[in-house]
Amino acid sequence: MAAVTLPKYQQSIKNPKGLSDRISWLRDYYFKGVGRNWNNEFTSWTTGTPWDVQYDELTYYIVPENYAFFQVMRSSFHQTARTIELHEDFWKWSLPERRAWFNKEVVVEYLPQEILPGDLICGGRFNLQTSRCWTEKELKERDSLIYGKNGARAKIKWFRNHGFGNSGATSGHLIPWHEKALKIGWKGIHAELNGIYKKLSRKEQDGKKGTQLKAMMIASTTPRDLAIKYSQKCRELMQIEKDENRKKELEQMSKNLSKVPWFPPETFWEAIQALWLTHMLIMSDENYPGPGTSFGRFDQYLLPYWEYSIKKGMDREFGKEILKCFWIHANTAYDAFIRTGGNQGITAGFGQLITLSGLGQNEIDMTNDLTYAILEVIDEMSPILEPKPNIRLHKNSPEVLLDKVVDMIASSQGAPFLINFDERAIAGMITETKKGGCETLITKDNVFEYAPVGCLENTMVGNDRSGTVDNNLDLLKAVELALSNGKELIEYKDQITNKIDNNIKLDAPNTGDPNLFKTWEEFWEAYSKQTKYIIKKCVETYEASESIRAKFSPTPYLSCLVKGCAEKGLDVTEGGAEISFTTLNVISYATTVDSLLAIKYLVFDNKFCSMEELISALKSNWDGYRILQARAKYKAPKYGRDDDEADRMAKQVMELWTNETWKYNTKSTNRKFRPGLLSWNYWVSDGYILPASPDGREKGQFLSNAICPSNGADISGPTANSNSVGKVLGGKASDENGDFKNYFNMIPSGASHTITFNPAILKDPEHKDKFKAFLKGYGENGGTALQINMLDPEMLRDAQKHPQDYRHLLVRITGYNAYFTSIGKELQDEVIARISHNKF
Amino acid sequence: MSSQIATIFEIQRMSTEDGPGLRTTVFFKGCPLKCIWCHNPESISIHPEVQWIGSRCIRCKLCLDVCPSNALNHTKRGVVINRQQRCEGCGKCALNCPSNALEQIGKKWEINELIHEVLKDSAYFKNSDRGGITASGGESTLQIHFLIEFFKILKQNNIHTALDTCGVFNKEAMMLLLPYTDMILYDIKEIDPEKHITFTGYSNENILKNLIYISNYITYNKIPLKIWIRTPIIPNTTARADNIRRIGMFISSELNNSIVEKWELCSFNNLCKDKYLRLDQDWQFKNSDLLTVSDMEQFTDIAKKALAYPEIVSWSGQTKID
Repeated sequence: MAAVTLPKYQQSIKNPKGLSDRISWLRDYYFKGVGRNWNNEFTSWTTGTPWDVQYDELTYYIVPENYAFFQVMRSSFHQTARTIELHEDFWKWSLPERRAWFNKEVVVEYLPQEILPGDLICGGRFNLQTSRCWTEKELKERDSLIYGKNGARAKIKWFRNHGFGNSGATSGHLIPWHEKALKIGWKGIHAELNGIYKKLSRKEQDGKKGTQLKAMMIASTTPRDLAIKYSQKCRELMQIEKDENRKKELEQMSKNLSKVPWFPPETFWEAIQALWLTHMLIMSDENYPGPGTSFGRFDQYLLPYWEYSIKKGMDREFGKEILKCFWIHANTAYDAFIRTGGNQGITAGFGQLITLSGLGQNEIDMTNDLTYAILEVIDEMSPILEPKPNIRLHKNSPEVLLDKVVDMIASSQGAPFLINFDERAIAGMITETKKGGCETLITKDNVFEYAPVGCLENTMVGNDRSGTVDNNLDLLKAVELALSNGKELIEYKDQITNKIDNNIKLDAPNTGDPNLFKTWEEFWEAYSKQTKYIIKKCVETYEASESIRAKFSPTPYLSCLVKGCAEKGLDVTEGGAEISFTTLNVISYATTVDSLLAIKYLVFDNKFCSMEELISALKSNWDGYRILQARAKYKAPKYGRDDDEADRMAKQVMELWTNETWKYNTKSTNRKFRPGLLSWNYWVSDGYILPASPDGREKGQFLSNAICPSNGADISGPTANSNSVGKVLGGKASDENGDFKNYFNMIPSGASHTITFNPAILKDPEHKDKFKAFLKGYGENGGTALQINMLDPEMLRDAQKHPQDYRHLLVRITGYNAYFTSIGKELQDEVIARISHNKF
Repeated sequence: MSSQIATIFEIQRMSTEDGPGLRTTVFFKGCPLKCIWCHNPESISIHPEVQWIGSRCIRCKLCLDVCPSNALNHTKRGVVINRQQRCEGCGKCALNCPSNALEQIGKKWEINELIHEVLKDSAYFKNSDRGGITASGGESTLQIHFLIEFFKILKQNNIHTALDTCGVFNKEAMMLLLPYTDMILYDIKEIDPEKHITFTGYSNENILKNLIYISNYITYNKIPLKIWIRTPIIPNTTARADNIRRIGMFISSELNNSIVEKWELCSFNNLCKDKYLRLDQDWQFKNSDLLTVSDMEQFTDIAKKALAYPEIVSWSGQTKID
């Protein structure tokens, strides 16, 4: 039967186009996955001590699926690790120096240098699990902080098991200072480090500051020494190469690498080569392949090199060819676990973001020829996951760019990029300066330089690490606690062992017996107190992993690329970045709002039930209460319909939790908490943990995703949905007295918003124009970032039945794109359910 | 008839099919025609009605108790509404139905309330080419006093206004509406007067006269108003070469061609099948096939050949999947 139905749909799945033989081969080779002779899977390396550890579980506290495997990971990476011959003084050095030296030694001396046929960029293996370089004493201290009764692991598991969400100090998720690394080369960086070091007193040089700087200096020579190796490799290959053209390419590559990234590049080819090596070594340094390690304004800082080379006669298509090789390299991050899981290690997405277009100083549009060249590359290469493009649009975005954007959306299954809306996003960054006290670092003149990391989380560039995915709090927990006077509605079990988890005492405030509440205001008061409590709980949980990371897991190489670290003599993990926030994202925002609306509607405004009845209904997961459940689901007001009253409540909820979030700083690293609205895939999994909610949701049904309305609630269409989103972020001032122009935005990190459209909306030029108008209207009324899905339910159902025939079908969920067939059945069903804004 | 309150059965936002740009389409209830193929059977009666959507019903039977006229019955096949004798369309059942299985079609809207609602999408209208509001139905001119007031306020707010009409209206009242109207979407369904009566229950004589009158009025008074003609292409009825050809000739010879911007052939669709079931009505097209792309292309060709400005012809709508 499949043969009958498939051809029709397959035509509508986008295919790459216009690729040269070189790129076609590299792309096809990449998608062979485990069938490849070469890959970039993790290799593991040890100091040879019996207590050595490679795998650092802290960075995965925000990935609950991994909790069950922590011990296995730790021991298997240890078992398979190869021993490095250590420097004789190794154990006399400070921890950052040991790490810097060890990683450099592995990368330069132990990893093979390999170049795929036709590839124009060098830099193959970088997925590493390297020794944490701890002494036995350090290990014992660190392990007791993690495994102790009140240790970090017990805390995070309890937090997760009880439906609070998750929290952990995580790697990646920042934009290094690439522009500078290109401008002055690593030689320049090294010289600056040395200059700062030299100015220290003798005592300081031997102390914490000095050893950190020394470690960074060691790290800063890694790219130089690795480039030399690759340069030699190119020369070797050149000797045996028969094809004259390829010979010349290899010769040029060898020359490039004898210069960059140590010296600053001049040509576009050199710049891309330098950028790739600099970037890939961050992933080696953090032992973390990709997630959120983003590039920032790619089409801006690379433009001088592009223009230089074009002027010198580089064929524009060859420039694109270089970029396409870069694209392939970025995808090899997925090789880390290539032999694990169903889709050859290609998981939901790592988010090495590139940012395109957007406003510049004096509100000038910054779109340029390189922007368009990159868009062409994306169009020709896609579907492909990395690097992920974000296009910044604003009121003065050129029509040509908008047309290209809409055309690309029409020809793909959903946008092959995420769209950032500058005005709203910039208003959020201004909120950050005000609330976060960084007026000197984010100003009217430089705020335009912001760029997203990971999925859509906005940060500044080159001096900012704001832990954009580090805290993920289920806001709905506060509703539960308010409904139970600070207790819980159900018995929570360990998600892995299924045993009751009361390892840590729940110490939520008693906010009163809800059955005695006479007015809505009394309930709101209880909810407010519980919101404050869960935020405090999240902050405490984060402190555990943050303080351990700061002490035991330095990343000296990355620290070289983040302004503030050298000056303060602090590692980026110690809060060295000039701008150093940690972001608290809430999950279940709309579910929470809708639950509050339902309580008000059912119990107080219409008295359809007593509070007691509602609570019993929730405890029994609505069993025996189907009429009440139906009223909650279908009759109670909902956020996301441009209903002013419902959205007013939604805004109140937003103000409450964001204001509370700004009050906290980490103790160990003095990073301020800032609000974000991203809920990755937690809104799916946490729906199985939290009990039934007053909005009619049953336990086991999904929570709402990021800033999106609850599943099925947006029955008034995309414009109403978008208007609601804009309103709850802060709306607009009637004059120009917003935080940026007339815009307000309480969420500096940004709010993930996905809308799925019927492909019919782009069926002809007339409709494409209408869609363009929608995007412009969104810029005025909507949120900070929009993902556009363009799906056909029939096609997706067929894809569920015949996953083998839809390997390349891309969908976007919560800020990242994923291959539809690689996501779980529940998420697949969810994507289908949302299509075309079906009523529920 | 009130200029302050209207009966409206749907407000569709981000509509892309009812005129230029992005629009909010307001569907007014009540229609003088009874087209046998009607896609909005719920629009014909001017009175509010109730419908039952079985898939949403949780069989709680609360509706039986709240109905003041005892018009509801719960049977094996679900809730049955006694429309002929009892149901007055008051909507109490719908209001109390916990799962929205019972719906009231047609609600009273106060003018300021409606204005507030439709202005919510102004940002999208203004960013599109002539986006705005379309008054559709039913036949919105049945509630002409309200409509005049409605369009007047919209024009004060600089919103583009379009009237979607079947052509049956009071000419004098229409003259009061035109100053606030930027565009008219005008249906010419059938050129043959006899057939028009058979298909719609009403002769097309006045419909065509009204159109000529408006065309002349616009021309002489130099009003910047544009007209789009729409013709539903319905199998075995209007989907005839001679019908299309003669409508084309009518447009060419009787209308000012600089005013007619578009002639759209709308292919038959069967998505309304369930609507008839819910209203306990039979629909003679329930088993009709969709037209094919080549059918529509042929009609488009015929239409083009009949016109001096063939580029104004286009077709839209669902077609059969091969």
